[in-house]
Amino acid sequence: MKFGRNLYLVVTGIVAFSLFIGGLAQWQSSGTGEGWCFAGYLQRWGSCVLVCYVVAAVGVILLGWYWFSLAGKITSIANYIRQDKLDCIKPGTNAVINTLTEGVKERFDRYIRHITELENQIKDLQIQIQLSQRREKNTEAIIYSIRDAVIVIDEFDKLLMANEAAGTLFGFDFRTSRHKLISELIDADRHKFVELLSHSRQTGGRATRQEIEFFQEGKPRTFDCIISRVYDQAERICGVVAAMHDVTREKEISQMKNDFVSHVSHELKTPLASIMAYSEMLSDGEADDEQTRKEFYSVIQNQAKRLNRLIEDILNVSRIESGLIKINKVPVSLTILIEEQLQMIKSYAEEKNIEIIGQKPIVFDQVYADKDMISQVIVNLLSNAIKYTRPGGSVRIKTEVDEIAGLARVSITDTGVGIPENELGHLFEKFYRVEANKNVAKGTGLGLNLVKQILEKVHNGRVFVESKVGVGSTFGFELPLATREPVEAMLR
Amino acid sequence: MSGKKVLVVDDEVHIIHVVAIKLRNNGYEVVTADNGAEAFEAALKENPDIVVTDFQMPVMSGLELIEKLRQCDQTRDIPVIMLTARSFAISKEQQESLRIAGCLSKPFSPKELLENIEDILYQKELMVDN
Repeated sequence: MKFGRNLYLVVTGIVAFSLFIGGLAQWQSSGTGEGWCFAGYLQRWGSCVLVCYVVAAVGVILLGWYWFSLAGKITSIANYIRQDKLDCIKPGTNAVINTLTEGVKERFDRYIRHITELENQIKDLQIQIQLSQRREKNTEAIIYSIRDAVIVIDEFDKLLMANEAAGTLFGFDFRTSRHKLISELIDADRHKFVELLSHSRQTGGRATRQEIEFFQEGKPRTFDCIISRVYDQAERICGVVAAMHDVTREKEISQMKNDFVSHVSHELKTPLASIMAYSEMLSDGEADDEQTRKEFYSVIQNQAKRLNRLIEDILNVSRIESGLIKINKVPVSLTILIEEQLQMIKSYAEEKNIEIIGQKPIVFDQVYADKDMISQVIVNLLSNAIKYTRPGGSVRIKTEVDEIAGLARVSITDTGVGIPENELGHLFEKFYRVEANKNVAKGTGLGLNLVKQILEKVHNGRVFVESKVGVGSTFGFELPLATREPVEAMLR
Repeated sequence: MSGKKVLVVDDEVHIIHVVAIKLRNNGYEVVTADNGAEAFEAALKENPDIVVTDFQMPVMSGLELIEKLRQCDQTRDIPVIMLTARSFAISKEQQESLRIAGCLSKPFSPKELLENIEDILYQKELMVDN
């Protein structure tokens, strides 16, 4: 470094000196009135200038050699750096090169340390990203596996996540709808839900719960919406999670239960009202004579029986529905069961002057059945037929066996009042009574429901009805023949 | 209150029977019907002083009967007592708007019903006198 600088100063000084001498000669020539003459110039200063030029030329050559050599070394260092071969750069005699090499190496080491740190940070970030992706996938898997509709939106009401149930409910493809405004994805008729989401996000508190009704496939459905706000670390709301549970069925069941309790209480209170009113009349001495008193006692007795029958029916329906009833299936002949029940109900038919037309016993009509339950079915259908048939009418009983289908079929056809077609579908509902026939006979509206439960729920059978107003009705049932019923069924 | 005419409406024949005996024993004239439609016809024909009706009946319910009575000039001011096995089925607003004079829950006491009828007819007479 020093050598180069000194050489540079010497060469520069010599060149400057020779130029000064030349200039002075020029000045002296012009001062004497003579023109500038190279020959004169050389004559005066020639040897001196020549020495100067030789020295300057040598200096320039040495300086050029020095700079070329320096440039070559720098180029080779640059090549080593480019090829990432820092170890090949050896310290030399040149202080400039050594300083440069050390500086580059230091910088390089610093960069390497920095790069290593950055690489470590990138690895950490990659691990975190993988963990985050795994967590997101887990979250998605959980959300997708939920049967309730789940929607997650950010603080700008844009969709972040939704499961298939939500997509089906709101009619969007949840995989292609990310980052779209929720108001654009949900139909206008469901904007109440969007408003609820926005409102929940804007208001305080952690969660909101509200029932919302939507129309799905033309039917109203009720959803229990739980909307929870999501907070970031700074406790700012950064999104909203909405879970919608379809409670339509629960509401229907609840309504059915309420209706059932209401019906039961009404049905129980009616005979109870008579019992209490008549007993009060007796205790108050309102029945003047013996005949009236007997009449009152008789009413109380009949109403108590009615009450008992009703309670039995309710309990039977309830036991069958809950599966708590004890079922004792044995091979029984339907013809024999019908005959037994006919004997019990014969007097009632005779009282009303109704002819019972039975069928001769057929060879084999055995079914695996609970004898008491099927007897109850037969007596319910027979007594209904007699109840709703006017005096002088008839009730025909028919038993058939369909060996190909493996079924025994019983039909009870009356010449009664008949049932309007629009009411046939409701006949087997609990407490349902045909409006037009309420005055014809009393009933609880539970008998046919019990028939259906016994046949279809307990015996895998089928109940059917055909009717024409003013002509009559046919109620019947089918049960699998004993030969087709698996033996295990008997052991159930 | 003897001589007053009471229209008793219920689809339960035993209830009609027991109420009729109680009222007749206490000097009332009793007219009966087993549904709302028959009762409205009877009200037009018999012009009763008071109506005692069941809530749930075939053809025409007790509430429908009262609505019809209130719409007709001849029957609009007849006081009505409702007998019901579903006491919660009639709201206070309905009672007021249809001017239902009293509501008794089934099972009911014939004695209590008689007392209610007497009170309502007494108040009606006072209002007429004033």
